Amino acid sequence: MDKRIVIDPGKCDGCGICELVCAAGRSGTWHPALSRIKVKKDPIWSLNLPVVCSHCEDAPCGSACLMNIIDKDYSTGLTLRVLSRCIGCRACQVSCPFDACTYDYRSEKVVNCDLCEGRAPECVSCCPTGALRYERAEYFGEEKLKAAARAAIIEEAEPVPDKDTPGLKRSGGVK
Amino acid sequence: MELYGYGGSILEIDLTGNKVKKRVLTPEFARSGIGGIGFNAKILYEELPKGADPLGEENILVFGVGALVGTPYPTASRTEASAKSPLTGQFGTSNSGAFFGLQLKAAGYDALVIKGKAQKPVYVLIDDDSIAVREAGDLWGKDAWETIDLLRARHQGVEVALIGPAGERLVRFASIENNYFDGWGRTGLGAVMGSKLLKAVAVRGSKTIKPFDPRIFIEKIKEGRALIQSASSYTAFCQYGTLNATIPYGNFKATSAHNFTKGTLPDWDKTAGKQVVDEYSDRHVACQSCIIACGHWTEIKEGKYKGVKVKDLEITPVMSYAATVGLDTEPTIKATELCQRYGVDLVSSGGVIGFAMELCQQGLLTREDVGYDLEFGNDDAAFKLLEDIVYRRGLGDILAEGVKRAAERLGKGRESAIHVKGLELPFIDPRGRWSTWTLGMLTNIRGGDFLRCRNPVENLRYNENKYDFKKERFGFKKPMYDALDMPDDLKKKAIDLEEDTVDIAVMSRWAEDLINLFNAIGICIRPPVLEKVGPTALAGAYTALTGLKMTPEELMKSAEKTWNLMKLFNLREGENTSEIRFPERYYKVPLCEKVVDEEKVGRVLEEYYKARGWDPVTTIPGKEKLRELGIEEI
Repeated sequence: MDKRIVIDPGKCDGCGICELVCAAGRSGTWHPALSRIKVKKDPIWSLNLPVVCSHCEDAPCGSACLMNIIDKDYSTGLTLRVLSRCIGCRACQVSCPFDACTYDYRSEKVVNCDLCEGRAPECVSCCPTGALRYERAEYFGEEKLKAAARAAIIEEAEPVPDKDTPGLKRSGGVK
Repeated sequence: MELYGYGGSILEIDLTGNKVKKRVLTPEFARSGIGGIGFNAKILYEELPKGADPLGEENILVFGVGALVGTPYPTASRTEASAKSPLTGQFGTSNSGAFFGLQLKAAGYDALVIKGKAQKPVYVLIDDDSIAVREAGDLWGKDAWETIDLLRARHQGVEVALIGPAGERLVRFASIENNYFDGWGRTGLGAVMGSKLLKAVAVRGSKTIKPFDPRIFIEKIKEGRALIQSASSYTAFCQYGTLNATIPYGNFKATSAHNFTKGTLPDWDKTAGKQVVDEYSDRHVACQSCIIACGHWTEIKEGKYKGVKVKDLEITPVMSYAATVGLDTEPTIKATELCQRYGVDLVSSGGVIGFAMELCQQGLLTREDVGYDLEFGNDDAAFKLLEDIVYRRGLGDILAEGVKRAAERLGKGRESAIHVKGLELPFIDPRGRWSTWTLGMLTNIRGGDFLRCRNPVENLRYNENKYDFKKERFGFKKPMYDALDMPDDLKKKAIDLEEDTVDIAVMSRWAEDLINLFNAIGICIRPPVLEKVGPTALAGAYTALTGLKMTPEELMKSAEKTWNLMKLFNLREGENTSEIRFPERYYKVPLCEKVVDEEKVGRVLEEYYKARGWDPVTTIPGKEKLRELGIEEI
């Protein structure tokens, strides 16, 4: 299975660098609105949730598209669009359960993350906290499970990766 | 000519006639001030009439966005707000990060200038080219958090700069809040907004800035990131932010404990030590484009203050409320929330409450005067008084004027009014620790505060005051000296490697200009940035972004020019040298057997003025210096 952008919201601090870098890299200008990865914020809680196209197996956007231009590329597993025929109706946006696609108001078309055309995704390489990772999705869960299992058995185990951020070390131990 | 990297215009709103004007940002204007505080100083110096009433219609409030804001340059989030201060009567200014600056710039504006006065409470809505002045009758009277809830529900995606009840009631140290958890705190800018009947500025923008040379600019961004991450203070600062400093200052006996009477408090390490972050915080919060994320989300989960939640437990409220007022950890966190809701400066409000408490302790204020018992450490009384101050009730009405005026109005307590030029002093107690920071509290153009003289080699490892107030211990080895981005000849004068000392007068002058540059270009002054990112890195980034070629020397000259403009502003508004002194207590009352030697500090000040090219006696900038900086006096 191919790699995907894997998100750990607990590590996202809301800096917005991913949005600016994605917009610059894929739409040629720096503005968060033109980014294909979006950080959903609840400011009163300083909660930050990065959202990006998950390239769903059975993509709702594919069914919703009136022009039938959204399709799975079966070699990469990515949900891709033929933008030249997009009419900007935004039915795909409405159907997406994660609000993970982006309306480009300049071209009046809807775009989604394409993992930087198969190169290493820019957002991942710029994320300062490790909230975004580019890896096989099943490995991400495995790490957390292993750490939790270790912690349950061994008293002096390392803290669960949840709270580990580059440059950040909390006082260790799981209570 | 198209300007790269900038929003492109300066937006001017005159609330008296609801007139909106957009001035094109010219390359000359851009080069002259760079952005942020540089734009503010130029506009206020040239356009604010001498003798204007800070709470009157003629005062002008300017928000200047930093030049690098809107890009992923690390920590490029900062916006400066400035006006004539109701507290000091001189140049009032404050700087804030979070996300306001990006939206204002994305709307197309590098500065927002607010003039005049509305007829009834209003708020301004900026949505790209569309500018609306709307009625705020239903918002007036609400606290800042309630107001933000309403405005964000009404206008999706806006960032809000606003006042709370303190600004509405012209409390002289009212703040302008920047969304829920940040703010332009010092010098009473909130009262300026309140006097204009302006409740809030809500802004959202969809335009994009265009870098002149994207490829090189991205290289500069990577360079900036690498620099910051290599800073000696990076890891510690990510972990505990500003709370790294609380225990050291306690050890130095240099906190503001009990209104600068004690140096430190018995359980200080337990109340205010950095380990407190581990107890209350579970995640980081960043400002726009920041790679440090010094904010630690803080929540109180049980007890008297259950449910209180704020973005950060920061040294500023910890010093003002845990030290000055003597509160425990949880009431200090609550104080943060209260000050953000009320829209009042954390430092000044703590200082004013501490002032009142000391007067009660001395018997100069009685239970009758206050209305209730008021003593250090009593959180219920402190919060009651804070509310009285914000709503100007009883004694609160006098205290709302700031410690300087309160002492004058009361006819007593002058010795307990801890301020310089009317601005309440934050920690550090200079009797406990003398450094560039403490000299900086005297030389700061906005009054008693050290945030404008933070220097790149500051550290808290030593506290030896054996240099007659002229020097402080450098405390680093040659690699740090070599890496410091400072012109060689100046570096030799500033740091003596053999003696392991820093010359305070020389370093202060450089540090002030450097901080001005940071505040113009829009990056953060936190230690990891200040240590590593200097004029050379910034010149590269600025030139690549804007296409306006600036050398590191030219950038620093622009920053120095801004500092001089603010000094001329102050002189024009009547600043005199007798104001440039500490509270009498620092000179006369020993703390741990130490006092500040006024004469010796006077000599260091003279060295500083000479380094600046100012007359060492009158402090007036010399004609040659003004000519060198291209300033035409008004």
